Amino acid sequence: MDMFENLLSGYRALDLTDEKGFICGKILATLGIEVIKVEPPGGDPARSIPPFLNGEPDINNSLYWLSYNTDKHSITLNLEFKRGRALFRKLVAKCDFLIESFKPGYLDSIGLGYIALTKINPRIILTSITPFGQKGPYSRFKGSEIVVSAMSGIMSTNGDSDRPPLREGPDTVYFESNAAAALGTVLAHHVREKTGEGQQVDVSMQEVAVKRTSSNLLVWEFDKCLIKRAGTIRTIGARSTHWIWECKDGHIFWSFMGGKPGSQGNRAMSKWIDDDGMENPLRVITNWEEFDMAAQDVSKDLLDAQQEAIRQFFLRHTKKEITEEGFKRGLNACAINDPSDILENPQLKARDYWANINSLKTDNPLKYPKYFFLSNQTENFVKSAAPVVGEYNDVIYRNELKLSAKEITKLESSGVI
Amino acid sequence: MLSKNSGVKDMAQPALQGIKVLDFGWALVGSLTGKHLADNGAKVIRVESSTRIDLSRTNRMVKISSGNNPDDKPWYTHLNTSKLGLVLNLKKPQAKSIIKKLIQWADVINENFTPGTLSKLGIDYNFVKTIKPDIIMLSSSAYGQTGPLAYEWGVDGTGLAMSGYLDQTGWPDRTPVGANAPFGDVVLPYINAMAIIAALDYKRRTGKGQYIDTSMVEVCVHSNTPNLLDYQANNHFRKRNGNRIDYASPHGAFPCKGEDRWCTIAVFNENEWQAFCHVIGNPAWTKDPKFTDMKSRKQNEDELENLISQWTSQYTDYEVMYKMQTAGVPAGVVQTMADIVDGDPQLREREFLLPIKNPELGVFGHPTPAYKLTKTKAKVRHAPSMGEHTEFICINVLGLTDEEFAELVGQNVFE
Repeated sequence: MDMFENLLSGYRALDLTDEKGFICGKILATLGIEVIKVEPPGGDPARSIPPFLNGEPDINNSLYWLSYNTDKHSITLNLEFKRGRALFRKLVAKCDFLIESFKPGYLDSIGLGYIALTKINPRIILTSITPFGQKGPYSRFKGSEIVVSAMSGIMSTNGDSDRPPLREGPDTVYFESNAAAALGTVLAHHVREKTGEGQQVDVSMQEVAVKRTSSNLLVWEFDKCLIKRAGTIRTIGARSTHWIWECKDGHIFWSFMGGKPGSQGNRAMSKWIDDDGMENPLRVITNWEEFDMAAQDVSKDLLDAQQEAIRQFFLRHTKKEITEEGFKRGLNACAINDPSDILENPQLKARDYWANINSLKTDNPLKYPKYFFLSNQTENFVKSAAPVVGEYNDVIYRNELKLSAKEITKLESSGVI
Repeated sequence: MLSKNSGVKDMAQPALQGIKVLDFGWALVGSLTGKHLADNGAKVIRVESSTRIDLSRTNRMVKISSGNNPDDKPWYTHLNTSKLGLVLNLKKPQAKSIIKKLIQWADVINENFTPGTLSKLGIDYNFVKTIKPDIIMLSSSAYGQTGPLAYEWGVDGTGLAMSGYLDQTGWPDRTPVGANAPFGDVVLPYINAMAIIAALDYKRRTGKGQYIDTSMVEVCVHSNTPNLLDYQANNHFRKRNGNRIDYASPHGAFPCKGEDRWCTIAVFNENEWQAFCHVIGNPAWTKDPKFTDMKSRKQNEDELENLISQWTSQYTDYEVMYKMQTAGVPAGVVQTMADIVDGDPQLREREFLLPIKNPELGVFGHPTPAYKLTKTKAKVRHAPSMGEHTEFICINVLGLTDEEFAELVGQNVFE
């Protein structure tokens, strides 16, 4: 039997982040890096983010926190205390990565900035994940998901035109910034293995999010045209079309696109409308590859009539019919999944996508997404639940730093750990 | 206006100096995966063909782009900076000898064709590893390389729908909506490039290569994990709820002076609430028990938002932001693309767009990596025109003689 390893087993990271940065450590932990969450006594304040297990607020019950701290260990340590910082320096000497999401300048102010860290461990990689980056006029601003989403321009393109701009449902800014931070961290590691020297990785959530709006930036830069929020319409050029539709029992994603990319789906749609015996304004198009609403010459009246027919068509069918029958017909529509649909999705099941994780206080394991990618040679999976506060204190303080029981008691009673 | 060029001298080689990548990537996911590697110094050979042209090379979102010139599309250039360009019709039998040489040359192969395409062309991983056993090869697709939906085509919205993003985005009384900006198509390339670089480290230590399979849908689902756990543990379906979240109030976008101008404000705790009240002048209503703690504010959120809107409407969006931020309250303007490209001093400081001259389009901003390595800086160069480096690659990289190259040209292999 093959013994699978992870891609980056044998390295250690200290994780000082809150909700702005803890997904980075989660991703790195799937690569096999030992990630130790260093929390203030009483726990990471992000442990108070709902939803909670059984609806009961408790530092070990946040399902949000549990989602994004899998496979980590937890120690408590108060960096505000001199003694806490001394212990931290000992840990820095023995680690490969440090991930943090403090306000820029905070680590410097307690004597643990990048330069100070290199004096303890020149190989260290410091990954800093902040709303706006380490330097610049907004760098000391406070930011959160919605604030950064607004400043990145994403929000200006999301929502119904008659209501305020909207945040996206999942915390996309945090998620994407942390994926970017994980890439930056591994990239810096690659350099370190060649040069022996670490460096700081400076991730600005705002800049990460702005990079998603590339095409909107271009439309402004070249044509001084502003893409704005337009509800279920996706703005793709001179003629914009709907991409989200109501159906009999929910909602459907199906993008009415022009040119070659949309041709297969459009042909299938036209055929299905015919088969349903409905009036079909799509039928007049014979060459879908040439039909491109991003070009100027498609009649708006025709597009409106076609979209009305598509709207009527979707209202006649259920999510299940549209997806199952739709895949056979090449329609390529997707149901807008709720959590139950996602957990039951046959594709994800067939790929063994779910990991059964026993979290604290649950009788039954919960299903977590198991991986970010698959490999034929290595296994980079989510394997264990997020830690309870301080579960690794003994291993680190007693076994590794060789502190005596008396010293540990003293540190506990003085609030250092 | 674009960000200024800082003129800082590179003190070190770029991070991926010396890494060689054979890049079949196209559309967004494949192109951006290769871009991350190329901007950081890998030598990336982008292989493409006019017989199955990349969608970003036909996109006419801006007026300067014509119907028939593949090189006048700024979106293509945004997605493909720093690469070398080779045109090659993979369907021509004579292309196989070039492909074999490229595989021998490469450390890494990146591709995101519809699953099954490379098998049909006879150049899937099983073939590749016979030529280069320790190659690192990455395939990405909407659903992954296996499973009942593997061969289905998907776009960014596929990930949004399948993962629950759309279920969670919008007003409770309306149809779901999504931003006019890709999500999974941009997140997956970060994971792809990370996996490739981590695999290079694994190869350094073990001598082994590997085959990596990524799915855009699967990466997107991670962003919805808290709701999946909430449903399993508590049998609770969280409904999309506009700008409101369960652990902050006020939390939303508030109207400001001017047409369609907004500023977001997010108050997470008592300190921020006190600071917020101070900024708006401690009006009497803030002392009303309806608003004095988070729980009561959540219960009276419609009224709270109306009262705040009356205050924010007296100021510009940037005035609201500065007043709040100065007092320690998280707040940010809902910036438009104009605000970002023409004005944002923070993004300019970070050189988020680097002005680069493109032969067809002139000078315009090209995206730099948003994760800044402080010592080994990225070096962003212009994207290749169609086949810009075909001859250079064949002769100088792969070692073809002039005669061999001319013969292949005569057989229309480079189209």
